[in-house]
Amino acid sequence: MLGKLFGIEFHEISMGAEKLFYLGPIPITNTILTTWVVMVLLVTLAFVVRKRISLIPGALQSIVEMVIETVYNLVKNIAGERVGNIIFPLIMTLFLFILTANWLGLLPGFGTITYHHVPIFRPPNSDLNTTLAMALITVFLVQVAGIAYRGLKGYLKEFVTPPILAPLMAPIHLVSELSHILSLSARLFGNIFGGDVVLTVIFVMLPPLIPAVFLLLESLFGLIQAIIFAVLSTIYFSMATAAHEAEH
Amino acid sequence: MDPKVAANLGAAFAMGIGSIGPGLGIGMGVRAAMEAIGRNPEAADRLFTPMIVGLGLAEAVAIYCLVTALALIFVGGG
Repeated sequence: MLGKLFGIEFHEISMGAEKLFYLGPIPITNTILTTWVVMVLLVTLAFVVRKRISLIPGALQSIVEMVIETVYNLVKNIAGERVGNIIFPLIMTLFLFILTANWLGLLPGFGTITYHHVPIFRPPNSDLNTTLAMALITVFLVQVAGIAYRGLKGYLKEFVTPPILAPLMAPIHLVSELSHILSLSARLFGNIFGGDVVLTVIFVMLPPLIPAVFLLLESLFGLIQAIIFAVLSTIYFSMATAAHEAEH
Repeated sequence: MDPKVAANLGAAFAMGIGSIGPGLGIGMGVRAAMEAIGRNPEAADRLFTPMIVGLGLAEAVAIYCLVTALALIFVGGG
């Protein structure tokens, strides 16, 4: 399973995640394993911060509060206070998960520690299944929010505006909703997987100093992609719910 | 043509031609942001996040090309 580039061997880059072992009939891939690591990290952080919460914040609490406040203000500015308060937990979860997963994927050991020639860890977002799952959750909840805020009739009416062009516009509206799934998932997947490929190639071609520059760039991209995913989801939510308020 | 060669050639063209548009778009976006900051330096902080989001959207087009190119290289051509 080794690839060869300029005569130097390195672990083969494959587009899909590699299977590690089977849990009953379900194959466990290296991205799932890394996702579990990210989950454990985030849940542990949540419990530690919650246990030590106090009126005068310590260093850790200050950092966590700063991050949460920044994202909260971002969501509130885009979606407004009422909608923002409802969707904030989802957006924050997505943001934290994507950010942690992207930054964890830059640590040494990812792609290099192998088990039967298969890397044990792989950045979760370099698997289209992970990003697709998050995009599906977001877009599905956007539809739910649209129905909840406009009622079923108002939600369906959105698909046939303007009414004269209904047969023409309905498929266009439908495709534009579905394209959100593709754009959200493919953007994140492409960025992280592409970054992974670039890093691997640069590490093989130009060690040891040049990769540091790319590592810095990738850590910046990891943050930017997390922000973009969060902001775009918020924009979709506010688009689905805002028209209702404009009517009155 | 050998399928493997065709896939690699397709990947090269997808990436090469596909980067033109996003490159122009990102350049225009940053230029507008820089001009705005030049006129009103206090607005730099507030411009930063929308600019990054806009750049991310423009960059996404190049990323689609990248995904296509990578799919062609690693999966296409048999």
